[in-house]
Amino acid sequence: MSAFFPTRRRFLAASASAAALTVLPLGGVPLGGTQSGRAWAQEPVRGGRLVVAGDSEPTNLNPAIVASNGVFFVASKVIEPLAEQSYGGTDGLEPRLATSWEGSEDGLSVTFRLREGVSWHDGKPFTAADVAFSALEVWKKLQNLGRVVFRNLETVETPDDHTAIFKFSAPTPFQLIRNALPVVTSVLPAHLYRDTDIARNPANQKLVGTGPFVFAEHRPGEYFLLRRNENYWKKGEPLLDEIVYQFLPDRAAAGNALEAEEIHLAAFSAVPLADLDRISQVPGLKVHANGYEGLTYQLVVEINHRRKELADLKVRQAIAHAIDRDFVVKTIFLGYAKPAFGPIPATDPTFFEPDLPRAAFDPARAEALLDEAGYKRGDGGTRFALRLLPAPFFNETKQFGDYLRQALAKIGIDAQIVGNDTPAHLKAVYTDHDFDIAVATPVYRSDPAISTTILFQSGLPAGVPFSNQYGFADQPIDALIDQAAAEIDGARRAGLYRQLQKEVAQKLPLINVADFSFITVARDTVRNVSDNPRWAVSNWSNVWIAG
Amino acid sequence: MTGWGNIGWQARFGLLLLAALGLMALAAPLIAPGDPLALSGPPLLRPFLDAAHPLGTDRLGRDVLAGIVHGSRTTLMIALFSAAAALMFGSLIGTLSGFLGGIVDLALMRLTEAFQTVPAFLLALAAISMSGPGIPTLVFAISLGNWTQAARVTRAEVLSLRERDFVAAARVLGMRPLEIAFREILPNAFGPLVSLAAISVASAILIEAALSFLGFGDPNRVTWGSMIAEGRTVLRAAPYLSVVPGIALVATVLGVHFAGRGLALREGVSRRERVAQ
Amino acid sequence: MPPLATFLLKRLAAALPVLAIVLLGSFALLEAAPGDAVDAYIGRSGALDAGQIEALRRELRLDEGPANRLAAYVSALARGDLGWSSAFERPVASVVAERLPVTLLLMGVSTALAFLLGSLLGVVAGARPGSWRDRFLSTASLALYAVPGFWLGLVLIVVFSVHLHWLPIGGIEAVASGRTGLARIGDIAAHMVLPVASLSMIYLGLYLRLMRDRMAAIWNEPFALALKARGLSRTRIVWRHIARNAIVPAVTMLGLQAAAMLGGSVVIESVFAIPGFGRLAAEAVSRRDTPLLLGVILCSALIVILANLLVDLAYGKLDPRVRIRT
Repeated sequence: MSAFFPTRRRFLAASASAAALTVLPLGGVPLGGTQSGRAWAQEPVRGGRLVVAGDSEPTNLNPAIVASNGVFFVASKVIEPLAEQSYGGTDGLEPRLATSWEGSEDGLSVTFRLREGVSWHDGKPFTAADVAFSALEVWKKLQNLGRVVFRNLETVETPDDHTAIFKFSAPTPFQLIRNALPVVTSVLPAHLYRDTDIARNPANQKLVGTGPFVFAEHRPGEYFLLRRNENYWKKGEPLLDEIVYQFLPDRAAAGNALEAEEIHLAAFSAVPLADLDRISQVPGLKVHANGYEGLTYQLVVEINHRRKELADLKVRQAIAHAIDRDFVVKTIFLGYAKPAFGPIPATDPTFFEPDLPRAAFDPARAEALLDEAGYKRGDGGTRFALRLLPAPFFNETKQFGDYLRQALAKIGIDAQIVGNDTPAHLKAVYTDHDFDIAVATPVYRSDPAISTTILFQSGLPAGVPFSNQYGFADQPIDALIDQAAAEIDGARRAGLYRQLQKEVAQKLPLINVADFSFITVARDTVRNVSDNPRWAVSNWSNVWIAG
Repeated sequence: MTGWGNIGWQARFGLLLLAALGLMALAAPLIAPGDPLALSGPPLLRPFLDAAHPLGTDRLGRDVLAGIVHGSRTTLMIALFSAAAALMFGSLIGTLSGFLGGIVDLALMRLTEAFQTVPAFLLALAAISMSGPGIPTLVFAISLGNWTQAARVTRAEVLSLRERDFVAAARVLGMRPLEIAFREILPNAFGPLVSLAAISVASAILIEAALSFLGFGDPNRVTWGSMIAEGRTVLRAAPYLSVVPGIALVATVLGVHFAGRGLALREGVSRRERVAQ
Repeated sequence: MPPLATFLLKRLAAALPVLAIVLLGSFALLEAAPGDAVDAYIGRSGALDAGQIEALRRELRLDEGPANRLAAYVSALARGDLGWSSAFERPVASVVAERLPVTLLLMGVSTALAFLLGSLLGVVAGARPGSWRDRFLSTASLALYAVPGFWLGLVLIVVFSVHLHWLPIGGIEAVASGRTGLARIGDIAAHMVLPVASLSMIYLGLYLRLMRDRMAAIWNEPFALALKARGLSRTRIVWRHIARNAIVPAVTMLGLQAAAMLGGSVVIESVFAIPGFGRLAAEAVSRRDTPLLLGVILCSALIVILANLLVDLAYGKLDPRVRIRT
């Protein structure tokens, strides 16, 4: 680190509290450690260390196998996809390892032109062979989402080192492939993985990629350390010297660490929403509410249709009318969410259907519906009892569970909350079907076919998580899903999904309540924060720290 | 000899505090009728601003006062039941083990050690993940790891007591071993046990709070621990949400300690008197 | 063989059934919990399809019965193999070994501080029961004992890290700082101050109380009265006779608290982001990683057994009435 930082640290401390001036920092690495004294320069400053609040500590860090946000948060800086989402790009995309992509008319092939002059962190050149290997051996066979998207991928032809042609055995919508590119196409170095046990390869923990940062160190329970890639293909980037992910398991820790100037940035709402109001007033900190448009989470009420009462549409409608979405958005999410009435969020204009029936908050109507359905209030004012299982994934899901219990009590449904930890919750809901209603947060991943239609499709075996384990089966809905899966015309495909949203909103297999994403809190010296729709899980090669 | 005037200010203070708490727990439905978890007001209302919510409301608009008074019921119930279970079981094992010695001592102490080598809190965590949080599970989980203290302390007391003159005298008088254990030794070990009872109740309250802090409380009941856990995400923005239940918790633990201590000291006095006779 | 060595060997042999009970109990608890390691994995990694889930279960032998898994575990253990951690995708031995030094450091420092300072203050209070010093210290010890450690930790962080910037907010040492030697030791020490304070306060109060109460009781024993009657100086009576006898229950506690502190450290380690056993064990439970939990528990059981052995040895030295039964 540079010799400048003690002075800088003192400067920071002095600005926070005059008394701290005389106190030598006992621990903690000083922030930034910039090599430049140009504090107000607007042109990017090179160098420095960015310290980030670590979200989780994935053991398998390989994004080509585990395409989850916890993994991407770290791995996306090391291993790159073929393309990344962007606010301004064509189809919302920006090239990474691929420079162009084109689908054939018949939906049976997609051609990628690959970037030249790219090398792996171990010095070997990046070629089409790496893409072919990743697609056939990893994305299609091992990856949680790739197994859906590349189901019909047959071969990948590599006429030269910088062209990869994906051949499909059945028509596959190019629209789906394109939308899925940022999430499912992390390219692995074939020379390290070929002829090995891919799932057990040591490179899953010590990543080797082409990205702007090189994986340097993992201290379990403490941190991940990434260092700049001196040979990155994009000239002049990355700007940072190092990125450190410091694990802070306590919920209050990220906010404190930001204020104590021990970290620069906390993404994925590591600072609890409830504390945002206060923290946004702290000088030197900035709240970024954008940069997550590509990672929308959906707050839904899952319903077990095997329960006699819940199989009745009127009861489900009553529940929908009992929920005050305004309260949920304003009080639970403090405004950082949008009310939702259907399964596709408004952030995706391609597929979103605005014209859906909207169940207004109307407890009287809910009670009337329950009466009609034949569930009158009995002794003590209760109609029937339910077991309510809020997913323990987020603070907000638990709070919504508490709220839902109260909202249902108002219309005479006695909901008892069953508080489980994650494994017990997943087993109860998706394997044993041992629940009546549950609160879940499925992720919308830029195309309904990736992880959304699975919530409505029938005939899935028990034990598949985040899927229709609700005992719901509807012929027209299944037909629409199958039809859209094979529809290669983008506009017609979007039309089918709009139709699907109408069906779902009418039949209420589950109840969509709100769409939410996350908040980033960063020191105001960190620049280029939230400049794309998947920012937290993108490569950060242009991020820099002002002096 | 056992009168009110005889027990010292600490015990009196402690007992008064506990009596007040007990009264509050009993009168909870009168002080704050209805479901304490009901969303009864605007969210994050500060204390002392609204007569309807004298202690304010939390993130979702639940009344803090209602939470405190109803929480005292759950908190005290969990603490008392688990401490009682732990103490009874523990002192039984400890007395038997210390007095009988030999193979019984060996076996019982192995069992105690087995439980002791596993941190009580981890046992509680594992037990809760087994059957999900609920009052009976919490009581079971907390006492599962709490009885060993009683066993060890009783045994140590018994070991040291059984070499003493009055036990030797009882032996000479021809009392049977178990009779000596329960009629002479256990009552003499009572002093440390009362202290330990206080510690057990207090630690049960604290373990419950720590479990709730980690999100393992019963979501259908309000406890002080769960209120603190809820409030701590806004520890800086709305400190009263964790401070108010925190004060209730500290006051209760203090009351338990004062009462326990005072009684234990009084017991020490009477024992000395007996020894002197 | 000298009697001490025989004693040690016998105690270690006697510890085997303890370890067996511990193992079986923990195995049963975690096996009875709903959901398995694969459910936990899904919770962290997101959606998987039926085929992948089946393959994972097969790989971790979760498709076999618990009896088979236990048998496999025990036979591996007999060969000195602690098994495979599904949560960390590494051998359990390496995960546990990594956390052991941090745990020993945190536990050791906290225990030493709580015991030494606690019993010292206890002696001060117990030297003259009923004096103002006694009243003050006794009341203070109760107050210490009534404050939850995690709560204390949160407050200490806000005061000393966020507002005053005196001490780091968490972790065991500065991240990838490249410090070595004394600078590194100083850095670790700075990181330990707040967690040790939060963890040891309760126990400090406990030792203070135990010591003080015991001393107060001993003052009334005939032999103490006799000593006073012989006209020995008060200081001499306090240190040579009263305190020495009173330390027995405190030493007993020392043995017991080894495990309790390990439990208390679950919360403290998570508040202060310290990579120790407490957090590891909690993770093992929440990820349903049975071999890892068993590894942590076995290892902490060994620590606790050793601590108790030392305590029993100390007993014999401190209280001549207790005989070591070999």
